[in-house]
Amino acid sequence: MNTQPIKRYYRKHRQAVIAGSSGLLYGGGWSLGYLTGFDTASAAILILAAIVGGYDIAKTAYHEVKSQTLGIKTLVTIAAIGAIGIGAYWEAAAVVFLFSLGSYLEGRTMRKTRNALEELLEMTPDTATVRRDGNLQEVPACEVEDGEIVVVKPGEKIPVDGDVVEGESAVNQAPVTGESAPVHKADGDEVYAGTINQEGAIEIETTGAGSDTTLQRIIRRVEEAQEAQSPTESLIDRFAKYYTPGVIALSIGAFAVTQDAMLSLTLLVIGCPGALVIGPPVSIVSAIGNAARSGVLMKGGEHLERAGKIDLVAVDKTGTLTKGETTVADVEGFGTNAREALELAAIAEKKSEHHLGDAIVAAARDRPSAVTDGGTVAAETDGTGDETPSIPDPDDFDVVAGKGVVAYHDGREIVVGNRSLLDERDIAIPDDVAEYVREREERGETAVHVVLDGTVVGVVAMRDELREAAPGVVAQLQDAGIETVMLTGDNERVAAAVAAEVGIDDYRAELLPEDKQAVIEEFREDHVVAMVGDGINDAPSLATADVGIAMGAAGTDTAIETADMALMADDLERIPYAVTLSKATRWNIYENVGAAVLTVTVLLAGVLTSYVTLAAGMLVHEASVLAVILNGMRLLRYE
Amino acid sequence: MSDTTQLRVMDFDCPSCASTVERALGNVEGVEDVEVHYSTGRVEIHYDDSLADPNTFEQTIENQGYTPQPA
Repeated sequence: MNTQPIKRYYRKHRQAVIAGSSGLLYGGGWSLGYLTGFDTASAAILILAAIVGGYDIAKTAYHEVKSQTLGIKTLVTIAAIGAIGIGAYWEAAAVVFLFSLGSYLEGRTMRKTRNALEELLEMTPDTATVRRDGNLQEVPACEVEDGEIVVVKPGEKIPVDGDVVEGESAVNQAPVTGESAPVHKADGDEVYAGTINQEGAIEIETTGAGSDTTLQRIIRRVEEAQEAQSPTESLIDRFAKYYTPGVIALSIGAFAVTQDAMLSLTLLVIGCPGALVIGPPVSIVSAIGNAARSGVLMKGGEHLERAGKIDLVAVDKTGTLTKGETTVADVEGFGTNAREALELAAIAEKKSEHHLGDAIVAAARDRPSAVTDGGTVAAETDGTGDETPSIPDPDDFDVVAGKGVVAYHDGREIVVGNRSLLDERDIAIPDDVAEYVREREERGETAVHVVLDGTVVGVVAMRDELREAAPGVVAQLQDAGIETVMLTGDNERVAAAVAAEVGIDDYRAELLPEDKQAVIEEFREDHVVAMVGDGINDAPSLATADVGIAMGAAGTDTAIETADMALMADDLERIPYAVTLSKATRWNIYENVGAAVLTVTVLLAGVLTSYVTLAAGMLVHEASVLAVILNGMRLLRYE
Repeated sequence: MSDTTQLRVMDFDCPSCASTVERALGNVEGVEDVEVHYSTGRVEIHYDDSLADPNTFEQTIENQGYTPQPA
């Protein structure tokens, strides 16, 4: 007879089989004993029930003792053997049966928690269609090499990370970023393994396959995060090290005083630190797993516990509250025409690599050059009559951080910058210029002066549109009792206008990049501060904050490194979710620890007053462990 | 040569169970470093492949009363 399938079945369901058999024997033995007055036959069956259910427990207990870790199984084994020793057979069988049933159920529910990431893993298809030697071949996804072209049909999952080189489509990136709306992808756009191609056929040049994909990296980080111990967990672990030997000592002491063996064995059982040690990790694993499925990467339990205390959220304005796409809203010439003022600004800013500079250069390129004043501008810029004039390089230029640029071109000095740069260089600002600047700034626009050889010749006003979600997100945070502050390099007037539009509580304006860190330090004196930023420019202030939250981190490893929480999508609306989930987790941990301590206290009082017996103690203990696990698992469904 | 292998144990029922398995694996000849995580059930073993036979790892975990499976 082939016994393989039976063996395999047994191995897989060993715990259930053991708990079941032990339960049946216990039920049978107890019933028989009840009828016959607990004679030898029923005692034999009950002892058998204890042995069947207790063999594995005792084996583990043996290893625990051997490796000098006194665990819960050691306590249960001592209690069961002790109970048999004093002739309390049915109590011994009950303790063993309840414990093995409890362990089985606990293992089963924990498996569900541990599997929360599995559905993310299953998102990546096993095979990929690759263009090789002019043919399409189906190969295992992990064997695709970098640079190879993968073809993905509509409706298929994308098997590798790469850049689109052919075709366009809408891609559902929910598995990686948590965004439910599909993202349009065309030539040159990056796509991730595990996301779903919804509309058109696309060809992808592979940049990562197998375990070297963004999704796999995220999953590894999530696991590391789940494994990292939170401060509460380490505290409880340290406590448990002394607690278990302490319970044994208490039990021995109780026996010495009362000579009541049953009482001291019951103390052993109820003293097991089960719910206390299990609660916090279950809460944290569930919360981190839930967050991962919504595109929020939490760095670990420590970060999560800290995030649960956040009472102030500082948000960088540019690229966080706004779309980060600065465009020129208006140009005004003073003593020259607008076109020329813009051209001069563009020359000065051409190499600045600042986002305001980029907007000026882009505007100068986009505007038709020959529209104004006799075409002098077009002639000056390239002389070829081309539709998009090329902008000449400055001969020399200097960036004045947070203020502007000073450049030289054809022997003339061009200064582009804010009021403080002009003040610094003793450049007078005429009243009409100041009036125009004020008017633009009151609309939340950033205005820069264009100065040619010491005279203001124009003003460029730029606008960075607010994200539609920004006011709602700020309101949600305020509803959760959190103070919101906007940080910006813009001046007071612009900041006030934007702050009013978003409805944010407070703002700090005219901050140089390094000032942001100092502001965060200052907030930290009486708040637990979260800082939201893009993770690259804001890396120092993210690191300074109690909790650094990086947005749009899917593609950037640096952002994930520096932040305590990383939002995979560039989606502001995840912030209230992440913050309230952290708060819910912190409460959940408190509930679990509280429930565990309360249970042990009540049981202890019950034992000492002889209300709680061995079997009842075990039942309540196991029930409390299960309750704590189920409570922690609620966080898997938090929305 | 040093090598690394990963296993999963989905039926840990308490944090100290994971520590017990960690110690047991650490005592296997040729094992240089072990990490056993209660929260994820992940077991990572670094070992010297001239001394240790990876097949014994699963046996060791089973001996402790838990069910290992491939990671």
